[in-house]
Amino acid sequence: MFDYILLFAVALSALMAIIQENLYKSIIILTFESFSLAAVFHFLLATDVAAVQAILGAALLPGLFIVALYKTTQGRDE
Amino acid sequence: MEPFQVASFVTAGILIVTGLWALLMMDNILKKIIGANLIGDGVNLVLISIGYRPGGFIPEVMHHFHATATPSDYSHLLAFEEFASNASYSLPFALVLTNIVIGASTLSVMLALAVVLYRKYHTLSVQKMFEGEE
Repeated sequence: MFDYILLFAVALSALMAIIQENLYKSIIILTFESFSLAAVFHFLLATDVAAVQAILGAALLPGLFIVALYKTTQGRDE
Repeated sequence: MEPFQVASFVTAGILIVTGLWALLMMDNILKKIIGANLIGDGVNLVLISIGYRPGGFIPEVMHHFHATATPSDYSHLLAFEEFASNASYSLPFALVLTNIVIGASTLSVMLALAVVLYRKYHTLSVQKMFEGEE
């Protein structure tokens, strides 16, 4: 049952990341989507892929996005 | 086909359609990059779902292997047919592992290009970039 809830969370947070107006919130929701996808990979018996997806999706990806967003808005909240 | 596999395919379809919609319809260039990332996630989920075998064991983590085992304890697993009929299909895993890393590097290049575009046009809106071009 928990795996189906995770699949639903992946789809819902992908939609919410697109709909969200504030880009900082959008990046946080995208991180949640990526980490849930790593858990789904674990349930699909791909543990090595899940480890790589968790590290890259939860640490590198929001870091890159936040640096790019800070450089394009000078820290202002648009 | 397993119900969880079907649900994974449906979720991957939602991810790809959402990413395509963001890539085509959104005005903000960072939203377009997020959409491209979602498309990559959906493709990865499709490839992983193909290799799923319900009840199979993971090729990398063998639960039969423990610290105090002697070689005779898992000699039944050394037969290749036994392993091949019970493990999940691991070729898509290697493919997706490469795809995740390549996706991260292309994402960083896209974000760097977005920063360069912002320095030239002082906006993130694609519509205003086209107006500034004329």
